Amino acid sequence: MGDSTGKRDHYTSLCRMCDNRCGINVYVEDGTIVEITGLKEHKWNHGRLCVKGRLAVDLVNAPDRIKKPLKRINGQFEEISLDQAYDEIAEKIKQVQATWGEWAMSVWKGEALGFLTQEDLYRRFIHAIGSPNYFSNDSECYVGRWLGYALVTGDWATQDFANSKCAVIWASNPPYSQPNLTQSILNGREKGGKLIVIDVRLSAIARQADEFVQILPGTDGALAHGIARQLIEEDFIDHTFIDNFTIGFTSYSHYVSQFTPERVERETGVPAKTVIHIAREIGRCRPKVSVYAGNGLEHHENGINNVRAIACLDGLLGNFDHEGGNFVAEKPGLKDLTLYQDKPLRHLDPIGADTYPVLYDFRKECHSISAIDTILTGKPYPLRGMILSGANPALTNPNSKKVIRALKALDLFVVRDLFMTETAELADYVLPAATFLEHPELHCHPIHHIISLSKEIVTFPGCDNEYIFLKKLADRLGAGSYFPWEDRETLNGWLLEGTGVTIETLLDHPEGYQYKPRRFLKYLEEGLLTPSGKFEFTSRYLKDYGYPELPEYIPPTYMSAPNPDYPYIMVTGARKVFYTHGRNRNFKRCRTAIPNPDIEIHPVDARKIGVATGDIVTVTSVVGSVDIPVKIVNPSNILPGITQVTHGWKESNINLLTHDDRNDPIDGFPLMKSVEISITRKVES
Amino acid sequence: MRFITMDVTKCVVCRNCEYACAFRQTGDFKREDSNIRVDYHDDVKICLPQTCMHCDDAWCLEICPAAAIYRNESTGAIEIISERCAGCKMCILACPFGNIHFDNINMVSRKCNLCQGEPNCVSFCISGALQYTTDQNSCQNNREIFQRFIENISSDNH
Repeated sequence: MGDSTGKRDHYTSLCRMCDNRCGINVYVEDGTIVEITGLKEHKWNHGRLCVKGRLAVDLVNAPDRIKKPLKRINGQFEEISLDQAYDEIAEKIKQVQATWGEWAMSVWKGEALGFLTQEDLYRRFIHAIGSPNYFSNDSECYVGRWLGYALVTGDWATQDFANSKCAVIWASNPPYSQPNLTQSILNGREKGGKLIVIDVRLSAIARQADEFVQILPGTDGALAHGIARQLIEEDFIDHTFIDNFTIGFTSYSHYVSQFTPERVERETGVPAKTVIHIAREIGRCRPKVSVYAGNGLEHHENGINNVRAIACLDGLLGNFDHEGGNFVAEKPGLKDLTLYQDKPLRHLDPIGADTYPVLYDFRKECHSISAIDTILTGKPYPLRGMILSGANPALTNPNSKKVIRALKALDLFVVRDLFMTETAELADYVLPAATFLEHPELHCHPIHHIISLSKEIVTFPGCDNEYIFLKKLADRLGAGSYFPWEDRETLNGWLLEGTGVTIETLLDHPEGYQYKPRRFLKYLEEGLLTPSGKFEFTSRYLKDYGYPELPEYIPPTYMSAPNPDYPYIMVTGARKVFYTHGRNRNFKRCRTAIPNPDIEIHPVDARKIGVATGDIVTVTSVVGSVDIPVKIVNPSNILPGITQVTHGWKESNINLLTHDDRNDPIDGFPLMKSVEISITRKVES
Repeated sequence: MRFITMDVTKCVVCRNCEYACAFRQTGDFKREDSNIRVDYHDDVKICLPQTCMHCDDAWCLEICPAAAIYRNESTGAIEIISERCAGCKMCILACPFGNIHFDNINMVSRKCNLCQGEPNCVSFCISGALQYTTDQNSCQNNREIFQRFIENISSDNH
């Protein structure tokens, strides 16, 4: 920090320490990145950055970064050359596919290295070598919410918070999970908008809420239906929209009429008068109501229908695709890198596509939890090889013990990462990878309809970026023709062809280039992207697969059939300011601030268990058990009986306790946020 | 003259400002090294970022027996010259807002110096609660905001 005497080069780029992709200035001295600050002109973050963003300086320069390929020989990792590693891996892929069939090879994409182009490159690669098995973190995160909205409205909703009269943040904590989204939420509020936060915990954003609604985990669908009932009963609804642009309203309104405020109170713990009050608040602000459905809604047995229930509110309020509401962002029309048109491979039984067809139909995601079972059982066919990039499922997937057993059982397991993660430790080959500061990539911010370019600012010998790695491997596998571009720059140019935007334009617009002006109420002319072309309170598509056509509410098991052996409910996955999922624990100064995992519990529960903050407890579910220090939180932060543990700590890996066999029937998302547990004080030995 | 304004209706106590300031001072993320402090009163959900307001009439500067506190004419910041600071803590007692703290290792008082005109806490404030503005009345405004706030809390509790 501070002034430098040496020559300092300045670059503009985008941050990938989380998914926000804030505009950044990157400063380089003698070929080394020395400083990162927020880029004032970027339309997303307006010059502000979070401490996680600045940590990218540590990330790129980390002394513990993997810079040489490692091969497991007699249980030990030994350094080998890059060419040898790629040659051997290619040979082993050929062996796996020759022995077990082309589908026996798979890829698994994580979030530690790149973004959307990286995802599409892996999809392209695996299809290019004849297998349909693309896995990613998305079949356990985000896509559940995306599907919930897409099934109702045809697309994901983008919130126009800055122009909202009422912002509803439902099961999300933007200050930690999407830091610079906080600015636009609070700007809307500064202009007179209301802020309603619905969450299990009194989160950071809840501290500024006009209404904080504390809800029991996994019961959000009942609250949404209760709000809907109230809106309909008090006629806070948009009749023109309902009459002309929706289907299923009659059966939907009949269904939600059961959700009286009193019933909602019983189901959700939210007082009946609060249900009425927030319904009125939301109703009065219509159509300028933005509702953000967060990650807390996923990871339940009935998660997707809870999200659908929330999405249905847009049909009542008329805020769908409205300024200040939930608008449908248009895409810049980049070329498609995937091969689902040219080489579909659906006939090769992508893993999970039959069990969770919605997940595959909409997102072409294979089901990563089923991948673990397939590896272990060989059913429906052997899955024997995997290239995993920038993911850490040994720490972040449910039932980690089983994940570890499965990944160890692969004939070929290749991991590309920056660090020796818990997953990399299981690999046959660990390959050095490139950070987001080492390759150029295109990024869109749908809220502003802008596209920006992140840059290759530094490189390290031997640390190939994702494209070059896949190209070199494809060349060795006879699939080189699918990767004709010389480098990432050329590829980016190709992706932009036909959009009217060029690389030069993006270089001239570090603030983000608006690819088209924002338009609202597009459905008036163009209809919606659903099968019916209308807003679907009921889904014929789901019905045809044998699912309920209405977003039926099913209470979580801990409510409908409580298990006295596991009397506490555990939510996992609340974010921390420094940490993104399993990442950043290796940076010493983060550990200074947040040194260890903990289980957040209510003071009343702490008294019952007989523990103080810092005491170690053993937490047990039917799946597994872990020891973890206690953190007693303020009584307003969490309800008695409810606990929270953040994931991603190897010291107390909470995913040893989460379920991989109680999945949401529609999208296959695992149960990780209403896990029944017991807590006992650990007796000193 | 520019000031840091602190909006209690936007702060979410994410503590990015504290960590960013601590990092600027020492290269680590020890919150106690920060020159901005965010108080959170859980029972009443009050978020209170506090850093030096660089008062026109700066009592810390007046009281310092070592003449270690001065006003930086280019930024307007009230700064402590560590080399002159005798560690008597008079400034800490004099500050009506509690915005000076003591560095127990180097035995000197520490406070905000506006980072030579580009305050790190503001750049890392993701909620927009902290602004670095040219508003002539900022100092006065901050005092009034706090005053109103304190009055509100006391009336709420009655």
